[in-house]
This record gives sequence, structure tokens and C-alpha cells, in this order.
Amino acid sequence: MKLDPITLEIQWKRLVSMVDEASAAFVRTSFSVLVREANDFAVVLTDAQGRSIAQSILSIPSFIGTLPATVKHFLQKFPPKTLKPGDVMITNDPWMGTGHIHDVNVAMPIFHKGKIIAYAAVVSHMPDIGGRIRNAGIRDIYEEGLQIPRMKLISAGKPDQNLLDVIAQNVRVPEQTLGDIWAQVAACKMLEERLKPLLKEINLDQLGNEIRRRSEAAMKKAIREVPDGVYHGHTQHDGFEEPIIINATVTVKGDKLSIDYTGSSAQVPRAVNVVPIYTFAYSAFAVKALLCPDVPNNEGSFTPITTSAPLGSIFNPTYPAASGGRGMIGHMMVPAILMALADVLPERAIAEGSSNSSITVTGEHRGRPYAAVNFMNAGQGATQYRDGFTMLSFPSNLSNTPIEVFEQMAPLRVVERAIRRGSGGAGKHKGGDGLRFEVEVAADTPMMASMIMTRYKTAPQGIAGGTPGKVGGLYLNGKAINPADHWVLNKGDRVVMETAGGGGFGCAAGHPILQS
Amino acid sequence: MPKQASKATIRIAVDIGGTFTDGLAVLTPGGRIWVAKTLTTPRDPGEAVTTVIADLLRQVTQANATADVTANVTEVVHGTTLVTNTLIERKGAKTGLIVTQGTRDVLTIGREIRYELYDLNLELPKPLVAEDKRLEAGERMDVEGNVVQALAPIEMDRLMAALGKLDIDAVGVCFLHAYVNDAHEKQVEAAIRARFPKLAVSISSNIAREIREFERMSTVAANAYVQPLVADYLDKLDTCVHNLAPKAPLRIMISSGGFTSGAAAAQTPIQLLESGPAGGVLSAMNTARNAGIDQILAFDMGGTTAKACVAVGGEPLISHSFECARVSRFKRGSGLPILIPSIDLIEIGAGGGSIAHVNDLGLLNVGPESSGADPGPACYAQGGADATVTDADLALGYLNADNFLGGEMKLRRDLTDAALGKLASKLKLTHTEVAWGICNIVNENMAAAARIHIAEKGHDPRDFTMVATGGAGPVHVVEVARKLNIPRVLATIAAGAGSCLGLLAAPARVDRAWSQPCLLKDIQWKQVARAYEGMRSDAEDELKSAGANLPSIKWYIGAEMRYAGQGHNVSVSLPWRAINDGMSAALLKAFEANYTKLYGHLVPGAAPQVITWRLTGRSQVKSHTFTWGDSRVSAKTALRGKREIYLPLRKKFGAAPVYDRYSLKPGTRLTGPLILEERESTLVVPVRADVRILRDYTVEVMIREF
Repeated sequence: MKLDPITLEIQWKRLVSMVDEASAAFVRTSFSVLVREANDFAVVLTDAQGRSIAQSILSIPSFIGTLPATVKHFLQKFPPKTLKPGDVMITNDPWMGTGHIHDVNVAMPIFHKGKIIAYAAVVSHMPDIGGRIRNAGIRDIYEEGLQIPRMKLISAGKPDQNLLDVIAQNVRVPEQTLGDIWAQVAACKMLEERLKPLLKEINLDQLGNEIRRRSEAAMKKAIREVPDGVYHGHTQHDGFEEPIIINATVTVKGDKLSIDYTGSSAQVPRAVNVVPIYTFAYSAFAVKALLCPDVPNNEGSFTPITTSAPLGSIFNPTYPAASGGRGMIGHMMVPAILMALADVLPERAIAEGSSNSSITVTGEHRGRPYAAVNFMNAGQGATQYRDGFTMLSFPSNLSNTPIEVFEQMAPLRVVERAIRRGSGGAGKHKGGDGLRFEVEVAADTPMMASMIMTRYKTAPQGIAGGTPGKVGGLYLNGKAINPADHWVLNKGDRVVMETAGGGGFGCAAGHPILQS
Repeated sequence: MPKQASKATIRIAVDIGGTFTDGLAVLTPGGRIWVAKTLTTPRDPGEAVTTVIADLLRQVTQANATADVTANVTEVVHGTTLVTNTLIERKGAKTGLIVTQGTRDVLTIGREIRYELYDLNLELPKPLVAEDKRLEAGERMDVEGNVVQALAPIEMDRLMAALGKLDIDAVGVCFLHAYVNDAHEKQVEAAIRARFPKLAVSISSNIAREIREFERMSTVAANAYVQPLVADYLDKLDTCVHNLAPKAPLRIMISSGGFTSGAAAAQTPIQLLESGPAGGVLSAMNTARNAGIDQILAFDMGGTTAKACVAVGGEPLISHSFECARVSRFKRGSGLPILIPSIDLIEIGAGGGSIAHVNDLGLLNVGPESSGADPGPACYAQGGADATVTDADLALGYLNADNFLGGEMKLRRDLTDAALGKLASKLKLTHTEVAWGICNIVNENMAAAARIHIAEKGHDPRDFTMVATGGAGPVHVVEVARKLNIPRVLATIAAGAGSCLGLLAAPARVDRAWSQPCLLKDIQWKQVARAYEGMRSDAEDELKSAGANLPSIKWYIGAEMRYAGQGHNVSVSLPWRAINDGMSAALLKAFEANYTKLYGHLVPGAAPQVITWRLTGRSQVKSHTFTWGDSRVSAKTALRGKREIYLPLRKKFGAAPVYDRYSLKPGTRLTGPLILEERESTLVVPVRADVRILRDYTVEVMIREF
């Protein structure tokens, strides 16, 4: 029977709401700040081949298309015919999963009448994975923490106690990390439970094919509206000893769009390398946000998009490259792609902004260990129609931690959380302002601190004559310090973090600016 | 609640909505009701209130129900959308804000996230207080409420001088960690009252004593923003009411589903935000209670939105954070966060006016865009060319073109057909397929939202009864119930004046909160006991002023709990008891029971923690039986005829009997498919079902096929 556009809508909506229900339960029980404040997780239902049918709508762009790929990676190691009811697979291998070991992926086959008909999969950022505190300066994956290759967490209903013991021994907050892993398993089981009664009415293969076909057609239609051509976008990241180059070549040909990163920097012995799965995810995000924001996330909509980068480059690194801070570079693919297409889609052009920075502190206070993180967002770029957003998270979506909560979590005092006025670039429309955040340490014993800073050397550029925003800065007791290092802080120390302003758009009235 | 008197007493409810002001009078004993309706008078809302109350008193007098009508009015309960509208339309007072040094921008900064991931040009809500109207005070508390920097007299003088220059009518005060120690906020409040007696002042520790400075600041700013207007309005209203019914105190419905005194409402007007919808839920609960049912899904569907709310054990679920004045209507995160106890409603963009369209994938979608009242659905013949849910309902035979609003408004079937035709040719489907598609999709949208809402609260929909209100609620309720596997549906009387019935069934209620995050094992019980002493005496004062009988008040101790490290709370509630370390075990037991119910498993090794303590006091809920006082219940022939309606399980049209709802006597039993028509709505039962008219004219539908 062919599915009409009404039955399809209803059946599909039911699957999406089922996935959203499982994801809501997962978020509410999670111990990970990143999961609940930033939706740094995804829940997906795939068909028997590992092709996505429905994905939780809250998930951030990092997970576009990663989880179905992870399911396929699992199936390479554990062929479907060897899988049994009650099996749950697990990994945090960056190349198999989502690009850094802090995300743990689990997947579970769903059986119906003795056959696998679907997979439920969940990925989420763990409260802790051991190793050094996440920081851009880390040199290789071994420093980053515990690696879990593709394994079975549960075999035919029986948990692997050895694996659980190893995990518990290697992370700082075992009850929380294991709590989140079990919550992932619970979400998979919930999907299975909710799916079973629907199988009487719904043919998953047929539904999946139809949704993918229609999503693919919608994406192709959007791509066809972009004139054929080869477009270049370029931006650079602060880097370490030298800047990191991001070079995107966008080729639009008919209904296909490919992005190649040749010309970008080589991989670096720092934790900012971006594995191909993540390269694809953020590239696809940029294309979707720019061309067709309303088309759902599934493999159909991303079939027309491909990405590539030379092996050994920052966008296709080899083991044991560190990748904990992959977002710092990955997020910059978005402005590079927006820049590349700015000339052919001038209506939608946006000046550069800056992605987020963060501070993580750990230590022991009055006999109790603590760990807390606060994200700091920055100014975003202006467009031809409006000023840039002041301190808004983009392209990821990370909220700040309330001052009162941050102070509950760690012995410090926030002296100021303020708009860094005047940091946005000038123009007909101004770039958004960045943040000024100042904390004072109130701990009796030394506090370990790791700061991730973005755009503290390279300013977000303006377009069409708009000027760049101001770069960010990191200061300890008034002196600039290096964010690639870990720092030990003592009572009374003051850390100031300033995030960058966004670029402006167009020439400001009365301030003629020479256009290059 | 008024004491049960032997002589006849009259209670009146008035609900001011965006378009209409509804009124309802009930005579006790007996429970006979009269309703009145007039257009809302936005410039002076009291005018419509006066009209409605006068009309009600006239009707009661005409009915010879009681001798001296005016003297026997014992209370007037009031609900209003004034606060919501003031915030949406940004018509509040010129407002200032005083905050801790270093946090002046917090109100602008918010949480820094985008509510829509893929929208590169989203619109963000503007703060209620302009940046140049915010002052920073040199003062600081730490997390435990210890003073880090005292508020020096010289600093206070500077602050007051600066405040004097702001040109404002209201001011909010929100200091860091004031939820633990309110001393500095209190000092500032006292100074303002002394120096600027005409300036309305709200302090965060009074309005929302909860951790998270941005959300608390947003709440106190909103309270200050609406306060002068609401105070003035309530004052005028009090005069109106006093003139019409001198002995009746004015009581105000609040978002938590209770009522409070006019004076308390004037102090914390932000509590009135969801006053109308709360009334609707209470009305549904009252109907269910009379039928002996205490586990319901209250379902309201109007022109642009549908609302659903779970109530279990006769208690509506309460949420402690809320969002108002969203710039993008149904997008969570696009509004102003408000930390007040509020009946936990879900709201979705599904109403009679929701527009059907074909999306990018070539699939039929319905809403959330709505044609509103103007131009309205195509069949209203006011220029709307898009097919809406109402058009689909008309095409399917569910609505009677000649009986819409009792026949006051003729619906144009030809215009509906034209609108459906456009979609039909796009989708290559028949008119009927499209019409049923629209209806089925909008039902699915509502069922999906309700399903998640129920599951999130740890319940199973099959245990629920759905209670329908609103103009479109009874039209769609049976199909939505079938999707949720809910077997029983109730349709209340006077669905159009539903909020008013709820206002009259409301208990007196107060809530207090105190955030003091602490691991369960480390709690300083003496400190907690002291906090509760303070909250309770404050709450008792408020209840007294609302006219509640204190000994009849039931008190509950609530705690928002979680495992340390998590970010979401599980609410726990215990009946009032002595607060000491013996409470630890009771809390743990309740927490674990709720956690298991919600998530199916506990977290071994994790440490339970209390984030916020709550106190709730409310009067006992009584059943109120209402019956029509006017001539609606008539001896006319009940059966109006037969009509072809779409039968979803047969996938074709079939003849169904059409009844005049209020001509059916209590005890009448019928079987579906059938249609029950009333003036403001139509109950559609398109499947096999047992239908029964209950004693209070509520219709009960037991669905027999799923």
C-alpha cells in the first residue's frame, strides 16, 4: 500500500513524538551539565540498516547524522545476525562516534517476530570521562581520558561487569557517569517499548523510505536554487604557535552540494582536531540553516551533501589525534561556509561572530570535591537587515550557568557578568557585543582551572564594509595568560574572560570605510 | 470559602478575557446558575464587569430565586487576562530595577541560547526594564547568605538619589542570593517606601524566593512592570463590586488554581498570569469530582490553541516556572521566564482556526499558524481563504452550518469547499480525504503533546478520563481520547463559561518557597524549621485576608529534590509535620518513590539533595453541583433529526442522530455515533460509545471501539 501524505504525516509524527519522549526523560535524569543546559545529546531510531528514521529535535548540530553512522560502525564489528535480544553496544571512539571521547554512544537492536527491525541509539556528553580536564592544549587522545572501543555493554541482557568496573575506576564521578550510561540504556528500552505497539499499523521500512525520499527531494530543491559554481570561504582560528586555517570550497552542481577543506591546516598535536564525522555534521548544519531550516534531520536530507578533507589535515586527522575541543575549529566551518555562499546568497549573508568560550574549575573545598563549568558566548555577526546578536550562542547552543548556581557548585564569586560594550564591529548594522566575565577565587585550597578561549587573537570579520569585532582576552590578576595551559588558582585570584564581538555589516553612516 | 448558611446565598464569578467578559452567578443551596456575557472594555475593564454583574443580579431577581438578591451576594471571584495582556502588549509601567553590582546586564543577557536552532534571524524577547533604568548596588551575599559586602548607609543614600532621577512608576529589586538572605532587599525596600511612598516596589525575595538570578530578576521585573496598573484596576473593581454587592468581598483567582485576596493580588500581581486557564482546569476537576473521578486530563480547545492539564487525586499538577509573552508563539524559550506556581498546562497551536497547509516535504500540516478571529476560517466568510480545522469540521458534518453560536452566525459550506479544494488538488486527494486529514492531524498533534505530558509526569493515559471544555473541545475530544487509549470522556455544562465555574469551585490557596540547596544528609533541620515558621505565619496572614477559615486549611511541605549533579528536580510533597531530622527518611522515601515512577530506576551511589523548600496551604476542596437556572433546560424534543457525519472507523459518511443537549434529562442513555448540540459547542461522538447524561447535565461518553 502506498502511503498518502496524511497517513505518512501522522505515522511519522508518532515516531518523532516517541523519540522526543525518550529524550525528555533522558535529559531530566542526566548528570551532565552539557546535556541539560546545552542539549549535548541525541536519541535516534534507525531502520534495520542503520538509516535514521527519526531523531530527537532538541539535539545540537554536532549530532546531525552521527548516530546512524555510529550504528553502522557498530554493525561492522557486530554483524546483525550475531546480535541477540538484550544486547547493548557502546563506544566513545571519536572516529566511530561523534568526534571526541567525552561523548558515549550506545545502540540497541529492536527485535520483532525474531528479526531486527530497528535500532535505538543514544549519544551524550558524559559528566566525566577521566583524563585531564578538557582543554585545547592537550596533546593526544591518551591524555584525554578513558577510551571505550566498540564493545557490548550488555550481552543478551547480561551487563559486562568488567567493563563497568573499568569505567568506574577511570572517571572522577563514577556514580554520575554510570548513572548517565544507564539512563541511555533506559532511553533505548523506552523507545523499544513505545515502538512495539505501533508496529501493527506502521511499516518502518516503508515509512523510513518515504520520509527519506521526501526529505532528500526538499534538500535537493533548496540546493537547486543556489546558482551552480565553486565558492571559496576562508577564516582562521587563533591556533597555538600559529593560527589554524579553515578553507572551505563549496561546489554546487545541480542538486548536489559538496564542501572540500583542502588548503586548511594540517592536524595539530592539540585537542582541536575534527574527525570526518564531525566535519560533516557542522557543514551540514550550515547548509541546512542557510538553505532549508525546516526540513527534518535525517539521512535523506543530507544525501545531497558531501564533505571531504585530506587525510592528516585538521578536518581528517589520524589516530591518536586529540579532539576534546573539536568544537573550537568545527564551529568555524559554519562562518567559512556562510562566507563562501555570501556572494551568491547576499540576502542571507551574515558577518562572522564567535563561538563559545568556557571556564572549568575543579578541586576540593571543605573536604568535598567539586567541578563546575560556565560557558561564555560571544557577539555574533550583523546582516544587511539587523545588528548582530549580543552574546548569543552560535553555532552550538550552550547556555551560561547562573551566577548563583555557579557559586553553589564551586568556591568562587562572580564579580561581573556584563556586556562588553563597543566590542561589536561597526557598520550600517553593528556586530553584537561580547561578554566581560570576572570571577574571584574564594577557595581555601588551590583550584585547578582550565579556560577554553576562542577568537582571542583573530577577530570576527565584518562584511560589505563592516569592521571586525574586538578580539577576546584572558587575564589572571590583570595579566594576559595562555588559555592552552592549565592553571592553579588561589584565594583572591581574579580571572577576567572577555569574549569577542561580532563583525559589522556595511559602511557605517558618516564613517566611510574603504572596501577591499 | 463562605460558611454554609441556611438562607440562600449567591456567589458570583467574573472572568475578563481578551474578547468577552463572562459572568456566572450560583445560588446556594441548589446550585442553580445564570450566565452573562458582554464585550470586554479594555480602557476600563470595570465597565464590563459592572454590566455583567448587574445582568446576573437582574436574572436572579427575575427567577425569584431569593428575596434580597444584592444583600445575599457573599463573594465575587474574579479572573482576568489583564496581566498576561499587559506583558504581551508591553503596556506596563515605567519600571526600574536595582541589582547587585556586576549584574546590571543580566536581564539583557539572559541564558544566551537560541530557542530555534536553525533560525539564523530569530527574534529575542526584549527585557521589560530598559538598560538605563537599572541601578547597581554595592552589596553582596555569599551562597550561604553571609554578608560579604554590607549595604552601607552612604551607598543607600547614593542609590536613593539615583533612583529619584529615573522617572519611573515602579521598581524591582533583585540581589544575588537573596533567596537565602533577604536582609539587603528588605533594607532597600524600606528605604524606598520611606523616600518614595508613591513608587510601587517589588523585591525578589517576596515574589519568587528561588535560586537562578536571571529567572528571578525577570519575575520581579514583570511583577513591578504590571503592579501599578493592576493595583489601580483592582481598586476600581473593588469599588464597582462594593456598589453592586456591598457585603461581598472581592477574591482573585491566581495561576496556582486557588484564590487570594484583592490586597495580596495587588502586591504580587504576577501571580494572576494564568488566572483564566487555571479556572478552566478547576471547572473540569469539579465536573469530574461530581462524577466520582479524580484522575483527569483537562482538555480545552478554542480558536487558536488547545490546552491540556493533568490532575491526579483531585490536585492539578503545579509547575514552578513558566514562560509568558513569547515572541514566537509556541517556541519554548522565546518568552520571559516567570517563577511562580502555576497550573502545569501544555499549550499547543491547535484550534478551530488552525490553518492547514502543505509543507516542504509535500505533507499536509495543520497549524500552529491560525486564522484567528479575523479573517477566521473560510466558512466565516470574512475573507479567510485558507482551510482551517473549523472548515474541516463543517465538511465532515460535525458542525451544523445553521447552529453555530446558536444560529447567530451562518457558516458558508461553499467557501469551505473552495478552500479544501485547493489543498485537494495539491495533494491529489478528495475533499473528504483532506477534511478528515486535517481533523486527524490536528487530533494527532494534540494527542502527541498530551501523551508526552502525561508520560513526563509518570502516568499511563489509560487511567485517565478526559474532560472537554472550550468551543472546539467537545468536537474533537472523542477522537483525541481514542488516540490516547482513554476510554472515558466527560463534557461539562457551560463549556463557554468554563473558567467562571472553575472560579467558584476554587479553594483558597497560598504558596511560599525558599531555595537552600543542600545534600539531604547535611540538612540543618533547625534552620529549615525556622524558615518554615516564617513562611507559615506569612502565609496564614494572606489566607486570613482572603477570608479563609484557618482551621480548615490543609498544609503541605514540598521539596524540590534531585541527585546531586543533576539539573532537573523531582517534586515531593508531604502533609504538614514537625520539622526535624526525623523528616529525612520520609523525604527520601517520597523522593525515591517519585523518581522510580518517573524514570523507572534509581541511581545507585548518588546523593539526594534538596534544592528548594515549599509550603502550600489550601482550603479543602468541596464538590459544587451546578445546574442551569434559566430556561435552557427545556422540555423541547431532544432529537433534532439526523445528519450525515464522517465515521472515521468506517472511513465513510453515515447518518447520526442529532440531539439538543440540554433537552436530554439526567439519566438518559444513548449510543454513539451521535451529535449533541448546544449553543456554544457541539459534542461529536463519531464511533460506537455509550453516552449517558449525568445528574448535573454533564455528558459521559464511554468509548466502545478504538
